[in-house]
Amino acid sequence: MKFNFWYLSSLSISLIVAIPILTVFTSFFQDTSNYFEILKQTFFFEYIFNSLTLLIGVLFLTFILGVGSAYVVSFYQFPGANFFKWALILSFAVPPYIYAYSLFAFFENYGTAFTILKHLFGDGDYNKHIPKFSGMFGLILSISFSLYAYVYILARSSFLYQSQNLIELGKNLGFSKFKSFHSIILPAARPAIVAGLSLVAMETLAEFGAVDFFSVNTLTTGIYNAWITFDDLAFANRISFFLLLFIFILFLTENLSRKKARYHLEAKGGFKKKEKIKLNGAKSFFAFAFCFTLFFLSFLFPLSQMLYWTIKFPENLTGIQITDLLLNTLYLVSLSSLVLLFFALISNYGNRVSNKKILNALSTFSISGYAIPGVILAIAFITFVAWFDENLIKALGFLSIKKIFIGSVLGLVIVYFVRFYSLAFNGIKSGYEKMNIAVDESAYLLGYSKTKTFLNIHIPYLRNSLLFVIILISLEIIRELPITLILRPFNFETFATTAYISASEDLLEAAAVPSLCLIIIASFFILLTSKYILRDNDE
Amino acid sequence: MNKNFLEIKNVSFRAGGKTKVKNVSFNIENKGDIICLLGPSGVGKTTILRTIAGLEKIKSGSIRLKDKMLSSSKDHVEPENRNISLSFQENSLFPHYTVEKNIHLGSQAKKPNGKKKISSNKIIKLLNIEKILSKYPHQISAGEAQRAALARSLVTQPDLLLLDEPLSNVDQSFKEEIQVQLKKLLHDLKITTIIVTHDSYEAFYLGSKCGVILNDQLKQYDDPYNVYHFPNSVEVVKFLNRGILIPAKVTGENSLENEDLGTIKGNFIKHYPKGSNVKLLLQPEDLEHDDKSNLKLEVVDRKFRGTNFIYTLKTTTNHLIPVLVHSHHIHQHQVDEKFGIKRPIYIDHIVCF
Repeated sequence: MKFNFWYLSSLSISLIVAIPILTVFTSFFQDTSNYFEILKQTFFFEYIFNSLTLLIGVLFLTFILGVGSAYVVSFYQFPGANFFKWALILSFAVPPYIYAYSLFAFFENYGTAFTILKHLFGDGDYNKHIPKFSGMFGLILSISFSLYAYVYILARSSFLYQSQNLIELGKNLGFSKFKSFHSIILPAARPAIVAGLSLVAMETLAEFGAVDFFSVNTLTTGIYNAWITFDDLAFANRISFFLLLFIFILFLTENLSRKKARYHLEAKGGFKKKEKIKLNGAKSFFAFAFCFTLFFLSFLFPLSQMLYWTIKFPENLTGIQITDLLLNTLYLVSLSSLVLLFFALISNYGNRVSNKKILNALSTFSISGYAIPGVILAIAFITFVAWFDENLIKALGFLSIKKIFIGSVLGLVIVYFVRFYSLAFNGIKSGYEKMNIAVDESAYLLGYSKTKTFLNIHIPYLRNSLLFVIILISLEIIRELPITLILRPFNFETFATTAYISASEDLLEAAAVPSLCLIIIASFFILLTSKYILRDNDE
Repeated sequence: MNKNFLEIKNVSFRAGGKTKVKNVSFNIENKGDIICLLGPSGVGKTTILRTIAGLEKIKSGSIRLKDKMLSSSKDHVEPENRNISLSFQENSLFPHYTVEKNIHLGSQAKKPNGKKKISSNKIIKLLNIEKILSKYPHQISAGEAQRAALARSLVTQPDLLLLDEPLSNVDQSFKEEIQVQLKKLLHDLKITTIIVTHDSYEAFYLGSKCGVILNDQLKQYDDPYNVYHFPNSVEVVKFLNRGILIPAKVTGENSLENEDLGTIKGNFIKHYPKGSNVKLLLQPEDLEHDDKSNLKLEVVDRKFRGTNFIYTLKTTTNHLIPVLVHSHHIHQHQVDEKFGIKRPIYIDHIVCF
């Protein structure tokens, strides 16, 4: 058989990405310390119960917020509708843990709400009247306001392609607006909504910062504690296994729904384009008020809370090295983007030219890294390096390689690679899917070799997709917390880790500056990609 | 030294793990010849082109071009090294480049060895695509995209040009004009070409030879005239759909008898013993109209084809016979009227099965 460079490269990349995922599965069968026995009797069920409660709460709220806002923005014309269309995705710039800091700080005793009331109405005992958002409820709110945009984006794009014929059918059947929404519009958008909710569910189960801040014991914090507090990697991996089973069910649901959603989008040809209904008077005001409240609560509220603290405690501005944090963040972003892009491109092209079923299956498995919480991936990586070091490197008489991978930028970039590989792979894949295979064949027939076709035809064609992927990866890495926290080199901080460390030391005011910087940079990246995210070129 | 320009010998053409066309052999004798492959959709015509281009491999037989082995069970020259150009049926232009850049990439890609360089301007003009040069593939019609892809293929000056339904998306009004231009262009450039089409008129006009592919096989490979007038199988007759088969009995060296039409005379292209029962091919131009004839059949349908009418007549034994009449014929016959057939019936070449 002839040596096939592209096939082998693609196969190797997929295998490497799959290693940490396989490690988690295999470690389920390893022995653990007694801690496992203790936990089995006590906290384990609490972890599962809390994770489920959190999941149900967040799914319910993100469904209401995401579908509601998508419906209003897609079907109606009212003042500010065009602004809210993209403004509502800015909530992505606020990670759940920063939302949690804002929520807690605003409503805490003598917090921002207290200060506002004091300024407005003078001294008084306001604390007992101000609601407290902490624990599970605060956590559900924080995650929901941060993640509802997943549902919003997918539901909106599905609503956009619902044809006028479908809406007119409802009218023709004599349905009320509510019945049309309930019986026609919502079922047609169901695959897209399920896909959005599945993403929310995966992110919720993976969430670490906010969960830790509100001290809610979930499977994710359980894994972190098992590793940090009890130094029991095997048990951390064992909890991971349960969480992964949970997530794989969601992952499969999401994948199946996405396929249907894509089918739905492709069916747009021949559909009559929908005209937005112009709202007047009270209806127009309510639509505006709903969107504005959502925009305010999800984005302006945490932004202004962080801004308020930054202005109120200017000494914090000098307390941290913003330039260093920015450079560290950008260093990680650029290095990881380059690595991810390079390998995702090779792997995609390898898949395209070799068209082997086994390679496709392996690629699908390897991109499931995105569904695995950062905490699990980081720990699986440490487990693998430790095993490799003990059983191979030291056994062969070489010096330990642990330090090269654990607590180093290299290790960090490798785990980012596994975690965000699916973003890069799928982003490039969706670009490739738009390119007919006849294009490649035409290039060969014009005398271009496979490498020349890749460089001269594919790369220029994929330019926009590559840019989009870079921005998406950057956005994720800027917000990322657990992997960075676990694997970063000593004294190497990012905006996310600085904010987390300050908050965990009960110095919420000090968390404001890095949080504010993070929100501003992330917003900038979101605005750059909003055109792609909202698919406005299709409108 | 092999004298054929292209030689395909006992090749089974496969795509997607399935054999599409079995055990095919045909040759293109001279450089500059144009041949057409005819057949219904999905029969494997495109697979043949893709295999010759090197996009599919073969497990048996051989393909040689200019005496060089391109494909066999052991050898496979990669597409980029064959100097064969394939113009796809669907839009295969590079979507991120303008039409002009697409064509330019074609002229850049292959450096013809010692060949006189063709002016891309000449080709652009001939294919009437000057106005779309600055446009992107998504901004032009399917017909324009096909012509642009054809231009890109032509400027590479391939040893062999493969065209897959090259005019399927071209407007009918423009099609004949393009056919004339294309034939002239290929002739002038002396480019050996295989054209795949399901349009028999197109194949008969463009090809110096035609291959008919039916039921996994190359049924006939011959001059267009022979394919039409001397089809070698009932399948070819049915595919070309320009005649019917009626029962007849051979009564002599150059005559046969049909229950409805009586005695038919002419030249058999194949010998049948006297007394044999055969199926006689009757094509629309075989019978002549004569109002004064006493052989009258009922008109059941009439198709106006511009230059002529094709009447469908029903015999007493319920066979439907097509008869061609010039459209300037003095009068027209309506459905249900009686229609006279000239006697004695004489068919220049009698085809029987």
